[in-house]
Amino acid sequence: MSMARLSTFGRWLSCSLLLAGAGIASPPADGFPPQASSSEELLTLPGEIGKPGGRLIVSLRAEPKTLNPLTAADAPSQEVILGAMQADLVHINRATQLTEPALAKSWRVSPDGLQYTLTLRKGLRFSDGQPFDANDLLFTFRVYLDENVHATQRDQLIVGGKPITVRKLDEQTVVFQLAKTYGAGERLFDGLAILPRHLLEKPYSEGKLAQTWTLATPANQWAGLGPFRLKEYVPGQKLVLERNPYYWKKDTKGNRLPYLDEVVFLFVSNADAQVLRFQSGETDLISRLGAENFSVLSRQQKGYSMSDAGPGLEYNFLFFNLNEPGEKTSPDLARKMKWFHETKFRQAISQAIDREAIVRLVYQGRGAALWGPVTPGNHRWGDASIPHPPRSLEKARALLKEAGFTWTTAPDGRPTLVDSDSKPVEFSILTSSTNADRTKMATLIQDDLKQLGIPAQVVPTEFRSLLDRVTQTREYEACVLGLVSFDADPTAETNVWLSSGGRHLWNPSQAHPATAWEAEIDKLMEQQLVAPSFEPRKKLFDRVQEILAENQPMIFLASPDILAGAKNSIGNFHPAVLEPYVLWNVEQLYFKDASGNARP
Amino acid sequence: MRYFLRRLMHGTFLLVGVSILTFLFSTLAPGNYFDEMRLNPQISPETVAALRAQYQLDRPLPARYGRWVNALLHGDMGFSFAYNSPVAPLLWVRARNTLLLTVTATLIAWALALPLGIWSATTLGRLPDRAISGATAALLVIPDLVLAIGVLILAVRSGWFPAGGMTSAAVEGLSPVQRLRDLAWHMELPVLALVLSALPILVRHVRAAMAEVLDAPFLRAAASHGIPRRTLLYWYALRAAANPLISLFGFSVGALLSGSLLVEVVMSWPGLGPLLLEAILARDLYVVIGGVLCSTVFLVTGNFFADVLIYWADPRIRGRADA
Amino acid sequence: MMHRGGWKRWLIALAVLHGIIGCAGFFAPYDPAEQDRERPYLPPMKIRMVDTAGHFHFRPFFYGVHLGDGTFDQFEESTDQVVPLQFLVSGARYRLLGLMPCQKHLFGAPASRIYLLGSDAYGRDQLSRILYGGQISLLSGLLGAGLTLFFGLLIGAAAGFFGGWKDGLLMRVAELFMALPWLYLLLALRAFLPLSVSPLRAFFLIIVVIGAVGWARPARLVRGVVLSAKERDYVRAARGFGAKNGYLLRRHILPETSSVILTQAAILVPQFVLAEMTLSFLGLGVPEPVPTWGSLLASLQQYSVLVSYWWMYLPALAIVPFFLGYLGLASALQQDASTGKIEKAASGVRQ
Repeated sequence: MSMARLSTFGRWLSCSLLLAGAGIASPPADGFPPQASSSEELLTLPGEIGKPGGRLIVSLRAEPKTLNPLTAADAPSQEVILGAMQADLVHINRATQLTEPALAKSWRVSPDGLQYTLTLRKGLRFSDGQPFDANDLLFTFRVYLDENVHATQRDQLIVGGKPITVRKLDEQTVVFQLAKTYGAGERLFDGLAILPRHLLEKPYSEGKLAQTWTLATPANQWAGLGPFRLKEYVPGQKLVLERNPYYWKKDTKGNRLPYLDEVVFLFVSNADAQVLRFQSGETDLISRLGAENFSVLSRQQKGYSMSDAGPGLEYNFLFFNLNEPGEKTSPDLARKMKWFHETKFRQAISQAIDREAIVRLVYQGRGAALWGPVTPGNHRWGDASIPHPPRSLEKARALLKEAGFTWTTAPDGRPTLVDSDSKPVEFSILTSSTNADRTKMATLIQDDLKQLGIPAQVVPTEFRSLLDRVTQTREYEACVLGLVSFDADPTAETNVWLSSGGRHLWNPSQAHPATAWEAEIDKLMEQQLVAPSFEPRKKLFDRVQEILAENQPMIFLASPDILAGAKNSIGNFHPAVLEPYVLWNVEQLYFKDASGNARP
Repeated sequence: MRYFLRRLMHGTFLLVGVSILTFLFSTLAPGNYFDEMRLNPQISPETVAALRAQYQLDRPLPARYGRWVNALLHGDMGFSFAYNSPVAPLLWVRARNTLLLTVTATLIAWALALPLGIWSATTLGRLPDRAISGATAALLVIPDLVLAIGVLILAVRSGWFPAGGMTSAAVEGLSPVQRLRDLAWHMELPVLALVLSALPILVRHVRAAMAEVLDAPFLRAAASHGIPRRTLLYWYALRAAANPLISLFGFSVGALLSGSLLVEVVMSWPGLGPLLLEAILARDLYVVIGGVLCSTVFLVTGNFFADVLIYWADPRIRGRADA
Repeated sequence: MMHRGGWKRWLIALAVLHGIIGCAGFFAPYDPAEQDRERPYLPPMKIRMVDTAGHFHFRPFFYGVHLGDGTFDQFEESTDQVVPLQFLVSGARYRLLGLMPCQKHLFGAPASRIYLLGSDAYGRDQLSRILYGGQISLLSGLLGAGLTLFFGLLIGAAAGFFGGWKDGLLMRVAELFMALPWLYLLLALRAFLPLSVSPLRAFFLIIVVIGAVGWARPARLVRGVVLSAKERDYVRAARGFGAKNGYLLRRHILPETSSVILTQAAILVPQFVLAEMTLSFLGLGVPEPVPTWGSLLASLQQYSVLVSYWWMYLPALAIVPFFLGYLGLASALQQDASTGKIEKAASGVRQ
């Protein structure tokens, strides 16, 4: 659908609208939001100065289940909320991966590291015009920490086993008290949306908070501190956000942000459909692209350009079932688990895997091979001393021999690996049936293992079944999964590395660490959680990475680049490797030419 | 009257049986929506368990089934875990989209099949019949999966058609007429795929039914009365041949909700098919049951409708049934 | 004038087609799971007799390929690398018809690799995959149809022969199964059963699922035949002479069902092959690396493949000749059955 067809109609309509006079918070003649009054303390963002106006159309993988920060657990909801409708006290800049002031204009940490004193900006208002102050903060944290609310944020706010407390010093200053020092520091506050007390206090006291902010709530009952506010929601089709006229950021020329008038999220569940819409010009931005679609789009860049932001934070890996066999474990599985527990077995498999082929065939070269959980996209936490051994089948065979495995010749002439009891070695690899990339990786690994004499089967499983088998019933042999963190800091992944963690995939939720090295990792993680500054934390986490490399509970495979594209008419487009990849600076995006999706 | 009551009871029995079957099947599956939450680092297992209890997944089966039937009779089809919304509105929207496609396709297919089949029957053995039979044979030989993919390839390669979806993005700023045109543009290919897959069978049946009737003596008698050819064919002959065709039509009506699953999935049409597939993969219990029930209702209704039509149209059945 | 036995021609054609698929190991140059990581998504190679310099070669040949500079998937022919095509070469081991270990292939290129129909994402030969894929798809269809017909025969015969409440009950259950939209039922059944570890078990599971869905219609048809056969004079006469049920069934009634069963077989097999293809296409079929026609088509669900690699469409065409054969067989059998009836009636009248 070409824009040309719309413009005549659009011009007619905009004329009549202007004549009729506009409604809510109409923009002044030059198109910019109302200028800041002197009592407001706005944050100045560096960067290109943009032009006001325009309607950005983006596709979203799935409809958000909810826009309520308390219950939002799925990714599309979070992308919309965090990116556009809400704001936090301290924000992690997605491009630099460092923290910067947000709603809090400055903060002070006490010498013992247990107290964070934050000074809020003065004179800020919510998107509905109501003032924002420390009382909203107190209310917000009370709600987050309330056990009856079951907020998803609650677990984040428990440091050292005790929930953090917050108290008000004055209308502009609050103090957070932690039970133990928190190594990641103020990164704790990133992503914690501040809730409006004036709208939510009453439902909260009546216990009806979860029912309050649902997708059926009309637009005028929402309020947030983000650059946009809800305008319209059409179930099954789209979500429309309009500019927040009270937004508290401005550019270096003093213009209040955001530049865009509206952001429209279309629900396009299919990745390929998203590509089609972007190609036809229906949407303006595209992110979360697979390598193959990126190639297709790059082939003819008509009116848009594609960019490769480099390796992201996602790491994919193969892991084995390292649980202790219980009474319910079948004898077959128990026998196989004996092999998996053998460290040299895992090391051998790691040696045999062709990581370069994975990067080449799965990511079309747009990715990086991994030997540890920290990808090249993570600026600060990589450990350069981890060995990156090239693929070597001989070394793999040598390791297997050391572990007591031998080869026999099968009836069809192929060498088969057998264990010390002369039983042939074979196992199955689970992958998610909806993730084509990981299934591809598993197929490549399967072929690699064939060369070692191990016939492996790839079993694409429905994702929730897969999770069930890995975390609950523990009935699986090997699995290929990927994890991506929303933050570069390892604290975000604590429950992957802690043996008691729910995401400690090879042996989750242990009561006591099963092995000495897992116990050591536990100790190191707990230490880095409370270590006061970056350098000691880095040393501790480096040691964690080294232990992982020695013991290979996860055989790391590869990490994809962050691939995105935007129309050429979009300014300030700088995809980052942290989520949300293209909308992290949505308040600074603008249309270079005036006709960009002008509002009819 | 007894005839109708019997058929009605029959249909109800089918519905109940189907509901039990589907309910049982879907509870066999391990895993559910909350597993995804578990993989989210920031949510503790206790929170997940609390939410799970809230959705009552840990009560015994018969209790859940009983609850569900009770709710159904009040118009509540359960709650979708994946979409976080009641099932009924979800189903209606999708079913409406599916019906848009299938009703159009069925009407076009029948509108084409009747004249083609009749023409074929009247020129039995000669060129038009041979050509039509050849074409239908050729179409029959292509399975609907291949047909759907072929149509998709056509869309993608030629660029004349949208490669999927029901509406364009900027559908808001358009007038109702333009919106209708946009919708029609998106419907062209899926409808084409559906018509092409349904047409050969319909044409063959019409041809067979008409061929049987065409040398009946009463027709020759009517012709000798000087009744014009077209009236002869459509008013006399077709009505005599109607019996098997009405059953077929009933079957067409019955398949309105379920016959287009592949085409919808391949062409990304937001209908009942893709919803069901997603729900099956997501173990979204109530959506699966709702979807299967919906399409079964259609099937049963379609057959019932066919029975009614036959009763009305064919005096032989009327006589037998009421006896 | 209709030819009796016209179905024989169709049967021969089908046998040839199945034979080719059955001997897939011979016709296919490579093992279907063999990857070639240097040549993913290679377009089909051109067999030439005349090279770029204009010289004629007696032995057909093709050019080697190399990756274009700076691209990932644009291959170019290396005109300096002439690779001759050889026939009856020794290659990967396979078992002819699943029994005899063999090593000869119809054609190949020992020094290099030939991709007559291009390669897929892992560099596996598409021609080999299509041939081997046919084995799984066709076998699923045949075994599934066999299972369905077996159940249909059993249940239909029981219902028709014994009559009474058993008949009523069985037919009600059959209607229940016919009332469910078969594709939905298929998907639901498949998805809710555990996804097995081995492709072999998955394969049998699919056959059982497919077979369990379609027994209702054959059962009704068989029942119809059995009902009418039961009332025939000679059957009643035999019963009057003291013949037992088993004898009656075996000798008189079941043979009557043969034409229905055969016709149904010819109709059901392609439907069941299609069912397997649908399941595999939707990702619920036999897993990697075993190829089936459905899973070969599954890659077409990705837009990038649809737009960039046209040779991946070819597996869709593979099933067409089989459908044609089965449909021709079915209609020939039906024509035969109706002529047979007419002739029987005519001969009865004459007597």
